[in-house]
Amino acid sequence: MDIRIKDLHKFYGDSSNRVEVLKGVNCEVLDGEICVLLGPSGSGKSTLLNIIGGIEPATSGSVDIGNDSTEHMNARQLTLYRRNHLGFVFQFYNLIPNLTVKENIEVSAYLSKNPLDINELLKTLGLYEHRDKLPSQLSGGQQQRCAIGRALIKNPSLLLCDEPTGALDYKTSKEILVLIESINRKYKNTIIIVTHNDAIKNMANRVLKMRDGLIVSDTVNEIPMNAADIEW
Amino acid sequence: MFNPLNKRIPREFKANAGRYISTFILLFITIIVGAGALVVMDSIKLMLDDMEEANILEDGYWETKYETSKDAVKKIEKRGITVCENFYVTDDDFDGNAKFYVFNERTDIDLPIAYDGRLPESGSDDEIALDRLFAEGRNISIGDIIDVNGKELKVVGTVALPDYTALFLDNQDMMMNTKDFGVSIVSAEAFEDLDGQNLTYRYSYRFNERDKTDKEKSDEAEEMIKILTKSGADVQEFLTEDANQSISYLKGDMGHDGPMIKVFVYILVTIISFIFAVLTANTIEQESSIIGTLMAMGYMKSEVIFHYLLPTIIIALLGSAAGNGFGYTVMTDAFKTVYYGSYSLPPMKPVFNIEAFILTTVIPVVIMIAVNYIMLADKLSLSPLKFLRKDLKKKHQKKAVKLPAFSFLTRFRIRVMLQNKGSFIVLFLGIFFSSFLLMFGIGLNPLMDHYVEVADDTLPYEYMYMLKKPVNKHGGEKLYMTTLVSEYYLTGKEVDVTFYGVDTGKTDSKFKDSGAPDSGSEIAITDSMAKKFKVGVGDTLRFRDKNTDEEYELTVVAVNGYTNNLGAYMDRDKLNRLLDNKHGEYNAYVSDEKMNLDEDDIAKFIKRSDVVGSAKQMMQTFGAIIMAFNVFSVFAYIVIMYLLTKVVIDKNALYISFMKVFGYDSREIRKLYLDASAIVTVVSLIVCIPLEVKTFKVAMVYFSSMIEGYMEFYLPPIVYVKIVAMGLICYFLINAMHLIRIKRIPMSEALKNRD
Repeated sequence: MDIRIKDLHKFYGDSSNRVEVLKGVNCEVLDGEICVLLGPSGSGKSTLLNIIGGIEPATSGSVDIGNDSTEHMNARQLTLYRRNHLGFVFQFYNLIPNLTVKENIEVSAYLSKNPLDINELLKTLGLYEHRDKLPSQLSGGQQQRCAIGRALIKNPSLLLCDEPTGALDYKTSKEILVLIESINRKYKNTIIIVTHNDAIKNMANRVLKMRDGLIVSDTVNEIPMNAADIEW
Repeated sequence: MFNPLNKRIPREFKANAGRYISTFILLFITIIVGAGALVVMDSIKLMLDDMEEANILEDGYWETKYETSKDAVKKIEKRGITVCENFYVTDDDFDGNAKFYVFNERTDIDLPIAYDGRLPESGSDDEIALDRLFAEGRNISIGDIIDVNGKELKVVGTVALPDYTALFLDNQDMMMNTKDFGVSIVSAEAFEDLDGQNLTYRYSYRFNERDKTDKEKSDEAEEMIKILTKSGADVQEFLTEDANQSISYLKGDMGHDGPMIKVFVYILVTIISFIFAVLTANTIEQESSIIGTLMAMGYMKSEVIFHYLLPTIIIALLGSAAGNGFGYTVMTDAFKTVYYGSYSLPPMKPVFNIEAFILTTVIPVVIMIAVNYIMLADKLSLSPLKFLRKDLKKKHQKKAVKLPAFSFLTRFRIRVMLQNKGSFIVLFLGIFFSSFLLMFGIGLNPLMDHYVEVADDTLPYEYMYMLKKPVNKHGGEKLYMTTLVSEYYLTGKEVDVTFYGVDTGKTDSKFKDSGAPDSGSEIAITDSMAKKFKVGVGDTLRFRDKNTDEEYELTVVAVNGYTNNLGAYMDRDKLNRLLDNKHGEYNAYVSDEKMNLDEDDIAKFIKRSDVVGSAKQMMQTFGAIIMAFNVFSVFAYIVIMYLLTKVVIDKNALYISFMKVFGYDSREIRKLYLDASAIVTVVSLIVCIPLEVKTFKVAMVYFSSMIEGYMEFYLPPIVYVKIVAMGLICYFLINAMHLIRIKRIPMSEALKNRD
C-alpha cells in the first residue's frame, strides 16, 4: 500500500508560543518498502510517524494510504484505520505485564478478522518456547520481539516502528533489525522506521532525512544491505 | 473471539486481592443490610396488611369512665360502624412492678394470633396467653402460673394482638415499654372472674365500609365523639387507628426505616463507587502507556472503557448478588430480631420482593457502573499519543501552585496533597460517613442516658394518679390534665400536647417551677415543646380540642425546664374556664408518696420509673444494632483509609525508589509521602466532627418529627474523643502497613520503567 504525504503541517501551542514542528512535508513511500526516517532530536520525525499512524492529527495537509485519506477522518474512523491497516512498535515495548507473551500478541489478534497464525509467528519471532512467560521474565530483546509480534499478528499493511532498537544493546538491536527485515520479506508489509541510528539507513529501500520540520533528502537505495551486515 | 484482555481480570484480582476483597466485603455488608432489612420490612408490612383483614383490626377505640350506654352504641352502629366491647382489666403491680392489661376473649375484632403455644380455650377459667415480648422480658414461659390481681392463671401461649404491635402504655409515650407494660388475653370465663377489679371500658370500632378516605374516617370519628358526649358518656380516651401508637407506630417506623436504609445503602454504594473510581483512575495513570498502545493498535475507546470497568462490574455484581443472597436467607433472621425485639408480631415468613431486589441489586450496580463509567469516559477521552507520553492532564498547569516560604518538608507534603486531591476528597467523604455511623453507634447510649437523666431530674413528682372521677384525698396535689392537639410545622400533622392545669397560687406546689401563668390566654411550655415546635416566649400557638373541635390561641409566656413530654402549663381555674369545665375541676393527683386511693377511682397510675424506664428499655433493643454500627464503621474506616492512602504510595513508587537512591531512609520517606496522608486523615477526622454534629442534629429533628415526644441532641465530649481516637488507631495501623510497603520498594525500581 503506497503512502503519499502532501504538504503536512503541524503546529503545537497557542498563538503566543506557537511552534511549527512540521513545515510542509511532502513524500511518498511505496508498497512493501522499508523506509528509514532519520534526523536529529526535534526534527519532527516522531511527529510525522504519529500523524501517519493516526494517533496525532495534522494541522493541515494529508496522508493518503492506498485509497484512504486520514485528512477528514473522525476519531472512530481513525481507530478503524489503525485497527485495519497499522501495526506499531515502540521503543519501550509497552507490553501488558500480567499477560503472557502469547496473550500479549492475542490482544492484537483479537482486532483482526484474518490474523496470522500465532504459533507460526511465535516461531518466526523466536518466542515459541517463551510463549507462556510474562514480559518480566524476558530480556529486553525478547520483549521487543513480542512487541513486534503484537504489531504483526494483524498482518498490517503498514508497520510503524518508533526507535525500535533505542533501548537495546548492539547485538539485540541487530537481531531485531534482522527480524524486521525478514518480516518485510515474508509478509511484504510497508515498514517505516524512525531512528537516530544512521547505520540503519543501509537496510532501507528508502531513506528520508528530516531537519527542522522538513524532509531534506529522499534517497532510494537500489540495493539495500542485509540487516545482518550493517555495523555501527 | 474472547477478548484476551479479559484474561487480565483474574490476575488483576489476584494481584490486588486486598483492594478487591475489602471493597467486596464493604459492598457485601452494605447490600446485606439493605436487602435483609428491606425484605424483613416488606414481609412484615405484608403481614400487617394481611392482619388488618384476617384479624379484623379495629379502626379505633374509645374508653369511657363507665359503661357506654347501649343507646349511644346503637346510634354509632347505625352509621355503618361495628362496635365491640374490648374491656380489659389492669394489674398495676403485675410481677412486682409492671402494668398488665388482661383483655376479654375476642371473637369479632382484633383477633389474637398465637406465637407459641395456643390461645386460652373458651370455657377455661384459668388460662392466659401473654404478649410474646412481655413474656420474654419477664422470663415467663408457657406452663408458668402467674398472678393477676390475686387470681392465678396458667400461661398456655404467647400471642400477638393486632392492636398492640407496639407496646405503648400511654399513647403520648415516646417509646415502647415492653418490659414494664404487657397485654394478654383470657377466655370470657376467666375474665368474668377478674373484671370486678380495675376494669376499663374500651370499645373498639370498625367501619363496615372498608374503603373510607382519611377525611371520611376523621369525620365519622368526630360524629362518634358527638354522639358519645351527647349521651353523657365521660370519654377518657378516643383514639383512631392512625393516632394510636400501639397500632400505627410500627407502620410508621417501617415507613421511616425503609427510606433511611435506602439512603444508608446508596450513600455507602456511592462512596464505594468513588473509591473504585479513584483506584481505577490511579490504574489508568500507571498503565497509560499500555492504554496508549491499545488505542494505537486500534482498540476503540468503548472497548478500553469496558476493560477497565470490568473489575468494578464484577465486584458490583458479586457484592450485590452475594449480599442479596445472604440478605434474603441467612440474614433475615438477624434483621427479624431487630423488629421482633421491639414489636409484638406473629411469626414471619420472608417474602421475595422484586422492588427490594431492584433497590439492593440493580440500583447499586447501576450507581457503581455509572460513577466509574463517567470517570473512565472522561479520563480516556485523551488521544492515544497523550497516553503513550503519559501526559494525562487535560489542561496543562502553566505554573506550579505557588506555595509560601514553608520548609522543604511542608512544601513537599502540600505538593503530595495537591497531587492526590481526588483521593483525599473521597477519603474525607469516607471518613465523614464512617465517623457519622460511629457517632451514632457510640453516641446513642449517652444520648439516651442524658434523656433519662434530664427527664428524671426535671420530673417534679414521684407518682401521678389519673382519676376516673374527682376524689377528695389528702396527700396529693390536684391538677386538671387534658390533651389538646397542635399542628407540627415539620410534618403538618397534629401532635398531642398535654395541658396541665396547676394551682399557681400554692406556694408549695410541685409545679411552682413550671412558670404556669395566672391567665386564660397564656401558657408556659416544657423545654421539649419549645424545642420541638421551635417556639419561645412571645409566640402564639394554636391548639384544638379533638373532642369538641374547639380551637384556642395561647401565647407562650415561659419555657420551663421540664423535658419529659410535650406539655403546656396553665392555672387550673383558668384552664377549666377555657375548656368550659366546672370551677375547681380536677382529674389527677401528683405526689411524692403513694396515695391511698381506691383502685376503682384510678384511670391511670404513672410512676417516675415509668417515664424513665421506657428509655432504658429502648436501649436494650438497640444494643445489637449499636454494636453492628460500631463494627461496620471501624471496618469502613480501615478499608477506606487503607485503599485511598495506598494510592499515594502506588502513584509515587518510582519517586520513592528515587528517594532511596538519593539517600533518603524509610523514616524520611515516610515524612515526605505518608505524613501528607496522616495530616489529611487527622484533619478530616477533626473537621468532620462539627459537620457530623450538624448532620446528627438534623437527623434528630427528623427523628423527633416521627415520634410524639422530643429528644434533644446531646453528646458528651468523650464521644468526639472516642471517634477521633478510633479513626487514629485505624489510620496508624494502616500507616504501619504502608511503612512496610515503602521498605519493600526496591531501589532498582528507579532504574527501570522509566519510559
